[in-house]
Amino acid sequence: MSSTTRRAAAGPRAAAAGVAANPGSSILQTLRATQMIDSKPVLPAEILAAILDYLPVADQMRVARVSRRMREMVYDDSRWVARLRSMGCWDEAEARRRFEEAVLRRRRAGAEGWAASAAGDGGGGGGGPGTGTGKVNNANGGPIEAPVGAGAGSEGALLFDAGLEEERRRKALQQQQQLQQQLQQQVGEMRDGFETMRLGGTAHAQPRQDPSTDPEALLQVIKNARSVRGHARQEYGKIYGALAPFYYDLVRAKSHTDPLVFKVFRDPERQAQMLANLKTFAKSDWAQGCQKREEKLDSMTGIFESAVLREFEQGYEFWDVDGRMNRYAHVLALLNGSNAAAELFIQKHPIFSDREVLANPMDCVNQALADSITLEPSRQFFEVLARKVNEQAAVIERIFPNPEQVFWAFADKVREELIMEYATPLFDETHERSIPSYLKAVSGIFEQTLQFFRTLTPPKGAKEGKEAKAQQEEKAKELALKVFEPHLDLYLQDELDEFTRQAEREVGDWEKKLSEQDASAESFYMGSFANRQADKKDFLTTFKKVVMMPVTVLPTTFALPSLPLGSPFASSKPAAAASANGSNTQQNLSQQGSRSQSPAPSLTPSAVDRSSSPLPGKAPTDELAAKAALMTSRLEGIKSLFSIEVALSLVHAAKASLGRVAVFIQLGGQAGGEAREQCAAIFIALLRILGNGHVKPGFDKAVQHLSQYNPREVSQHDQGGVAPLVTFIELVNVGDLISQMIDVFYEQQLVGPKIADRNDFLDPAGLAKKKFEQMLDESVAAGLNKGIDVLMDEVEYICATTQLPTDYNPGAATAPDAAGAAGAASSSSSSAAAAATSTSTAEKRASKTLGAVDMDIGPTRTAQRVRELVASHTSMLVGSTDKSMLDVFNGEVGLRLFAAVCKHLKRQRISTEGAVKLIADMNLYFEYVRTLKNQDLLAYFRALRELSQIYLIDPRHAKEMATIIADGDRFGGIFRAEEVYEYAERRADWYQVRRDVERAMYGLECSLM
Amino acid sequence: MAAEKSLQRVTLTSNDGTQIEVDRAVAERSILIKNLIDDLGESAVASDAIPIPNVNDAVLRKVLEWCEHHRNDPPQSADDENDNRKKTTDIDEWDQKFMQVDQEMLFEIILAANYLDIKALLDVGCKTVANMIKGKSPEEIRKTFNITNDFTPEEEEQIRRENEWAEDR
Repeated sequence: MSSTTRRAAAGPRAAAAGVAANPGSSILQTLRATQMIDSKPVLPAEILAAILDYLPVADQMRVARVSRRMREMVYDDSRWVARLRSMGCWDEAEARRRFEEAVLRRRRAGAEGWAASAAGDGGGGGGGPGTGTGKVNNANGGPIEAPVGAGAGSEGALLFDAGLEEERRRKALQQQQQLQQQLQQQVGEMRDGFETMRLGGTAHAQPRQDPSTDPEALLQVIKNARSVRGHARQEYGKIYGALAPFYYDLVRAKSHTDPLVFKVFRDPERQAQMLANLKTFAKSDWAQGCQKREEKLDSMTGIFESAVLREFEQGYEFWDVDGRMNRYAHVLALLNGSNAAAELFIQKHPIFSDREVLANPMDCVNQALADSITLEPSRQFFEVLARKVNEQAAVIERIFPNPEQVFWAFADKVREELIMEYATPLFDETHERSIPSYLKAVSGIFEQTLQFFRTLTPPKGAKEGKEAKAQQEEKAKELALKVFEPHLDLYLQDELDEFTRQAEREVGDWEKKLSEQDASAESFYMGSFANRQADKKDFLTTFKKVVMMPVTVLPTTFALPSLPLGSPFASSKPAAAASANGSNTQQNLSQQGSRSQSPAPSLTPSAVDRSSSPLPGKAPTDELAAKAALMTSRLEGIKSLFSIEVALSLVHAAKASLGRVAVFIQLGGQAGGEAREQCAAIFIALLRILGNGHVKPGFDKAVQHLSQYNPREVSQHDQGGVAPLVTFIELVNVGDLISQMIDVFYEQQLVGPKIADRNDFLDPAGLAKKKFEQMLDESVAAGLNKGIDVLMDEVEYICATTQLPTDYNPGAATAPDAAGAAGAASSSSSSAAAAATSTSTAEKRASKTLGAVDMDIGPTRTAQRVRELVASHTSMLVGSTDKSMLDVFNGEVGLRLFAAVCKHLKRQRISTEGAVKLIADMNLYFEYVRTLKNQDLLAYFRALRELSQIYLIDPRHAKEMATIIADGDRFGGIFRAEEVYEYAERRADWYQVRRDVERAMYGLECSLM
Repeated sequence: MAAEKSLQRVTLTSNDGTQIEVDRAVAERSILIKNLIDDLGESAVASDAIPIPNVNDAVLRKVLEWCEHHRNDPPQSADDENDNRKKTTDIDEWDQKFMQVDQEMLFEIILAANYLDIKALLDVGCKTVANMIKGKSPEEIRKTFNITNDFTPEEEEQIRRENEWAEDR
């Protein structure tokens, strides 16, 4: 505020005064007067307002009487709204609503009674607004409402609001009248703000009464305060009138017996209410010295509170629940929310020394078998505790006005004193004794604790139904978290460590067992491949079922009748079920065995072998285990590589761990997040151990076997398969099964309960799973690559050893032909040794079938065997690996087969008669390749089929043969003319037709020209 | 920089032309001067005296005396403005003595504090004035503050009755 404005403000007034004093004076005089008054500074309005803020209410009212300007300043509504607000009894929303209603009413009234309003203006509007209204009001002092509304026309909001208020308030007339009487007694004659009440129709003159006779209204005065714009001062006045006498009296009081509060009100409830009111009122006292006044009030309240508390305590000692305890708890609630009483109640509660509740946590350990734990005692403990606490809930409800709060405070204390005391030693002890039982204890006790808090029946609070439920759930989680917070980190770490250890031990055990077995005694057993896919599907369905089953860590579900949900993974199980399942398994097994056409001896040994399978203690207890055993027996051949049972038991262990950790996820917040991370970590560990520790070495070994395979070293070739390749393909199948198992597990255990997000490509669990699958694919690919080599070796071997020279050249069953075949063989690129073998065999076979010229026009045995061999191996892969890989594999197999057949063809000598057989063979290959559904491949074999026809041509038609040889289209571009020519050389009568053919091809055309 | 700043001195000129040299830290108790220095830059202030046209020599000296005494007070926090209805604290002893001046001077100090934007001093002034008003009758208040009574006696009585609830008993 600059000085100029100040002068401008002060100047005119001073000048006016001067002019008024001396009407005829000169300008000079006026100036002098101005100067003079200016020297006595006048404070600007805002400073005056600031000064007013520092004044006690009584002094402010005196200032209001000084001048109009001062009164305006003092009466300023915002000043009083602030005070009401400081006491928390100003509701801006309410004020706005009233204001808007009033505006609406005024508009309507304005239309109705314009004339009356105009009349009112004459009185109220012209003069000072305050006086105007006052007069009108006094004039209309009677219980007539319409004139008031009219009178408010100019000054609007104030009076009109008041009138409106009246109507509203009449509904609560009884109480209001009391209040009014009270206020009248207190203040004497009512003015202004209180006048509105008189307008409401209450009698004017009330007989003077002592406040003590009707103090009820006093107690309610703060609660009854309304928020009316323009009426804040009056509202504050009501409160001030009611409370200030007590307030200042109390401040002046010397001892705690003096204050009027304790004299007027005899019963503690009212005293408490009044003290609480005064406490609120003190907040609106901000004049100098207010701190001291408040302190005094606080100390008085403190004295009162401790006295009440003493009463409460005495009641407590006598367990006078409905009497003194109830009463004084309510008194304290009125005073300041009864925290002290609740604290006392909880602190001294007998439940904390109740012998019945106090249980020995060691029972859980002692009652169980060595190194394990039973949670039955803890369940009992929680049951007893829940019953007791719920009893107390009823008691708390009877005592306290805010039972919910007190109850949860009580529950918290129970948690701290009883549950923590119970759980911590148990955890410490089990941690020292054995980690698995520690893990079981933590997870089990946690579940029981959570269940315990959920079964509590808190007293009915203000919230209903769902909200109360949600609140209880929240509380239960919060309290459970508090119990387990100190243990959680250690537990999660141990869980992961333990799982890793267990899994590694499992794999290690298996490997040790394997090395103990004589590696040379590996019996490559080939199961029935007929219904492999069906078996796998069957197995997976069962697995899925089992995975979906909840892990019940507890032997019995808490507070529920024990359900037959015995975990399939639990080490202990009902004996009856086991035996029933066991026999079932046997049946199942034998059925399966008889149904499949597996070699008879494999059944019994496998059944025997199963008992000494890598998991001796784990007799099949249910469908899954039975199927697993079955699978194992069928996959006997690959048990030296990796075991589905090991994989299954790893998954079981992971599931158990996950199940234990997963209960913590429901805690939410940081703890829940940590638990979730740990779940993912367990899954990752599972994949790591299963993948790198178990599956991959198996594959590596299988690939090694494959690469070492040499068909010439294997004595038996009648089985129809290449043993290592069969093994490998079985391995691929099992690998795929494991992969699918992991997938199901991932879906059920991680994605299902929202531990892992499938769409989050950064999710560690998802990444690990992808890596695992990739590893599997790579292994499969590497193996298949080797596998094709092996397969083709075998094909070539079969071709070389079993194809009789007479097959395609039946007419030449004579020595020269045999020699020719031998010569052809020796001239081919195959090794000398192989050639020797083949010749010797060929000779043997040839001599056998020497006499009987086979006129059968079907395919040769060699072709059939080759076809069978290749077909059986390719079909084995169907459904075990993904389609694209299968296509590539089949394509490669087809191409290599083609090459092998071509190579084989070039070693043969084919007569016209033998050509029929050859064509049959080629048709056989072609038909087979067609089943592979590969168009490119088909072209090769079609060409081969065409090619085989050149042998059928009679020597007399050599020229036509030349045309065919030169006809590239016929072979779909697969063979060039030179190549076809090469094949034509393999005709038995080549030297006879050669001239004609060559002439036709090269010479004849020229001569024609 | 901080050390330099506290040593730097500024010169103020009152409206009757007297120049007073004070420590910058003392002068900067006044938010007006502080902002002025910040805006003009230190070099401008170092060379020229700052005119304080609304305050005379005596009052300015008095105000600076207060500033000198309170130079190390913690600066006003901004949220004081919002919470203007906070509870009144008592005036400390030195300030009470400081304020024992004639009423004209007291008002001049308040006005100067208002102009120079020294909130703490303004508060002390207002509290002193409030203490002066306390317990006085309306007539006495009028006299003290040189206010003309523009009420009729009836009107004044009316206001008194309106607010009877607030009277001390």
